[in-house]
Amino acid sequence: MVIGHLRRAYSSFAAHVFDIPPRFMAFLFLMILLLVPATGLGPYYLSIVIYANVMAILAASWDLLVGRTGQISLGHAIFFGIGGYGSALLFKYYGLSIWVTIPIAVLIGSLAALLLGFPCLRVKGPYLALVTMAFPLIISSTVSWGPLVDIFGGELGIRGLPGFFPFLPILQQRAAEYYFTLVLLFASSVLMYKTANSKTGIVFMSILDDELASKACGINVTRYKLLSFMISGLFGALAGCVQANLLKVANPPMFDISISFLPIIVTFLGGIGTIYGPIVGAYIYAILDRYVLTDLLPRLLRDNFQVMSLPSWYNFAKLLVFTLIVLILVIKWPRGVSRFTTDKLEDLEEARDLDERGPRIWKTYKKKKSSTPT
Amino acid sequence: MIEQIIIFGAISGGLYALLALGFTLIYGVSRVVNLAHGSFYMLGTYMFVFFGTFGFFVSDPMLASILALIVAVIVVGAVASITYRLTIHPVIGDEVAVLVVTVSLAIVFQQLMLLWYGASFPRVSWPAGSVLLESTSIMGVTVEYSRIFAFVVSLVLFAGLMVFITKTKIGKAMRAVSQDREVAMLMGINTERLYMLTMFLSAVLAALAGIFITTSIEKFAGPWLWLKPLALSFSIVILGGLGSIKGSLLGGFIMAFAEKTVEIMVPEGGGIVGVVPLAVIIVTLIVRPKGLFGKRIEMEE
Repeated sequence: MVIGHLRRAYSSFAAHVFDIPPRFMAFLFLMILLLVPATGLGPYYLSIVIYANVMAILAASWDLLVGRTGQISLGHAIFFGIGGYGSALLFKYYGLSIWVTIPIAVLIGSLAALLLGFPCLRVKGPYLALVTMAFPLIISSTVSWGPLVDIFGGELGIRGLPGFFPFLPILQQRAAEYYFTLVLLFASSVLMYKTANSKTGIVFMSILDDELASKACGINVTRYKLLSFMISGLFGALAGCVQANLLKVANPPMFDISISFLPIIVTFLGGIGTIYGPIVGAYIYAILDRYVLTDLLPRLLRDNFQVMSLPSWYNFAKLLVFTLIVLILVIKWPRGVSRFTTDKLEDLEEARDLDERGPRIWKTYKKKKSSTPT
Repeated sequence: MIEQIIIFGAISGGLYALLALGFTLIYGVSRVVNLAHGSFYMLGTYMFVFFGTFGFFVSDPMLASILALIVAVIVVGAVASITYRLTIHPVIGDEVAVLVVTVSLAIVFQQLMLLWYGASFPRVSWPAGSVLLESTSIMGVTVEYSRIFAFVVSLVLFAGLMVFITKTKIGKAMRAVSQDREVAMLMGINTERLYMLTMFLSAVLAALAGIFITTSIEKFAGPWLWLKPLALSFSIVILGGLGSIKGSLLGGFIMAFAEKTVEIMVPEGGGIVGVVPLAVIIVTLIVRPKGLFGKRIEMEE
């Protein structure tokens, strides 16, 4: 009895608090992010958030292709690497400024997506996943091939990129980089979100839902798939060239399977098919991986338990933990964290509508929702 | 030059066919694209190293090695069926989820082996003094006996599997399920158990291919060694047609000959061998997207 009243009170309270338009929520999120450097974080902590911004762009581009259009790509590292190498090569051979190389590299990434899309999109489903997974493997072995070492720099890659704001001192440089990546993230996520919810995005969704039916409606499916590939490649390359210029190096690990796998982890953490989900997921991932597991936990262990150096397997265990989380999420909770929150919010709204009917209906209603997307 | 390509290509071809057969078998029966297939190859080599130190209470080191091989292969098969039941089975039917789950499994196995053995590369070979480590000369090319052994075993296994699939009751059940799952269920086939059995077989094939390739050609095991065999097996399977057994045999040999040609003819070809699968995939997709023997692929047009 008492619990029922409490639950009803809580649900009506929560429903009112969370009854904020999503646009305002996004604005609030952005405001908080804008204030991050003002809190006086050190350069290392800022670099974590910068990393989260870049990975969010990559993951959102993966989500646009996979979650919205249903074209499974397991080789998103290819766009990441092409962006990075494109920018680095333009700098190395033509000495172009970073503000020129990034747009050109982004266009190269989009063009590469178009070229790869022609053979890839002749097949679909598992075949497509396999083919896309093969590309980064092969490009990375080409890039590190002996006879091409003069062009691509072999295993070491192309070093000595100028970086974004070389004239500033280190802390201001990090802050400037942070704002730059944040603006990029904001701009590209708005663009992707708008694309995903425009008329084109609806066509993408129709391809995801039923390709044959959308073909029957007179939609040129191949053209829209190529378009989705190109948009995704464009933002993937953007993330890649920003990352290469931040780290001042473009090297074969940019094509690594772990880079292809990262958007998958992040997207499933956040929620597939939402565009904003991967952004939330990227922040969760970056904070967990780079802050909690790399910085906070070792420090706590050192201060409280006198564990001076962590065992050598610690770094291997981190990726294991994340992969297990993804595995469990995919099997048990396939809608992701942000989808879970939106579900909860919808539940609360429904609960508010159903308020007079009492808490038991709300309970049964909650159990009903378990269908998976895609 | 030509002799080298023919002999080494044939030896690799048999093993590649074995590797691809496992991949195509599990796809054909349960429609699971198993991206963890390369991991079973990698796990096989590690288990061979691990059980190789056991001895099994026999004095002859070669016999102990063979026993280690058998135990390792069975362990990998069991691990595969259990992981199948626990992780892939709940999401079966959802393509994206299956792919993500199997990639995750591959990375889990990679990290587990990293935790167990560290980032070192244990040497994998037959015991010292074994006759397999000596070499002979065929057509003027020196070939180790271990490679000939691997080639013969792979062909025998392939033939045995063909007989198993075409003649035995379980093989017939497998073909029935691959043709029509629901009708096969109506005929009283326990598809669950059949899937687990197929997974076992497929992992056993991958582990055997792994052990033979590492003992005769690669020489070292490593936690990252799942990616290359995976790329190989799926490019062979795309070439031969997903779900086709003949295709994986022919595709394996074509891929092996193509790789050896590039490796021997192109200067510093060893570093660029990885590009061969891409070239093969692209040519296949442009010329004949369903593969050499593929039948039931849903096509764009």
